Amino acid sequence: MNHISEEDLILLYYREPGIDNTTRAHLRECAVCQAAAESLAQTLNICNEFSVPEPPAEFGRSVWAQIAPQLSGPRQRRGFARPPLMRQWIAIAAGVMLLAGVFLMGRATRAPQAPIATGLSRQARERILAISLADHLDRAGRLLTEISNDSDSASAGFATERDRAHDLVEEGRLLHQALATRGASSTLTFVDDLERLLTEVSHAHDAREIQERIGSESLLFKVRIIEANLRTQGQKS
Amino acid sequence: MDNIQIIEKARRGDHDAFRILVESHARPVYRLAFRMTGNAIDAEDVSQETFLKAWKQIGNFDGRASFGTWLHRICANCSVDLIRSRKRRETDADVADPQQHIASPGPSPERIALSGQVAAMLGPALDELSGMERAAFVLRHFEGMGIEEISVALGVLPGAAKHSVFRAVQKLRRTLRPAMSASR
Repeated sequence: MNHISEEDLILLYYREPGIDNTTRAHLRECAVCQAAAESLAQTLNICNEFSVPEPPAEFGRSVWAQIAPQLSGPRQRRGFARPPLMRQWIAIAAGVMLLAGVFLMGRATRAPQAPIATGLSRQARERILAISLADHLDRAGRLLTEISNDSDSASAGFATERDRAHDLVEEGRLLHQALATRGASSTLTFVDDLERLLTEVSHAHDAREIQERIGSESLLFKVRIIEANLRTQGQKS
Repeated sequence: MDNIQIIEKARRGDHDAFRILVESHARPVYRLAFRMTGNAIDAEDVSQETFLKAWKQIGNFDGRASFGTWLHRICANCSVDLIRSRKRRETDADVADPQQHIASPGPSPERIALSGQVAAMLGPALDELSGMERAAFVLRHFEGMGIEEISVALGVLPGAAKHSVFRAVQKLRRTLRPAMSASR
């Protein structure tokens, strides 16, 4: 008999029905076909190495939060031309830019309308996330630096810092959501840690409660390193 | 409340019941979507689209397959749609932006000579497949579906499903061959 075709070897590998006993017997006896089957198996076994990043634990709730508003009301024709995540990205980008504008009052900010309105490629979304996160870390870093250097830690003077921390926590939640969908686990962990500290700042009575923690965890250093990496990433993508 | 009761409630339009189904099936759906699309952003989009379609079509769920299998079929089809639309967009973008052709050079021979790096080529190799080929291969190789099941899931004849698997495997072998040879 002729040697076994690649197609039959594929069916044999996957134990699909339809392979007759003559073919199986040939495989047992033919060194050429055994070598071909072995070569095929090596390639297909390598495919098992294709790993899938685990979605975050709250992924199911996140999907529900996204789709729930669309389950009621008139049904709309939907398609991938404008996928739901893209709208989420538009909201995140616009939200972050808006918060940045309000928060910094007068600092020059990037106008989001033009690139967003024309539709975003994956690279563009990655870039926006990297730059938005870098800007967020820059603002958080400035606040933490000011708190670290604050020698007059009277309660009354700390109200502004509390408000700024509160704004940053709100802004961080938008970024957290975007990072979670992207599977950026190490950055996500850092943003989570930072958000916890900012939450503490937003409830603190004076700077002394926070200064020690900022110093002990080398937070400012980490903020600056990650911010720099994100800016590089934002320029590359 | 068991799974059948939850599905039955969801079929009657109960949002809370459907929420339970979404939260319990979202992660496996995401994993399949990731294998199909190759990236987290698209996998999230496909996951959402899958559950929106499931909600619209849940009246057609007849219980012959498990709910998870039924969702996987929807997810596979959503993935194929997305891959097709993505390839169209990428083709358009290639025409519009010639710089994209030089944006991502392939790995060097030295790099792929290491057997551990062969796996790193899998993502790009899978990206070379057409939507149907990738879907058929993922369902066969990772999800363990038989050719008949795949044909039902993708709404094609068994012969077409079988040939999509064949073509996918042949393309993967061709793409991975240099790396496989170098790693031996």
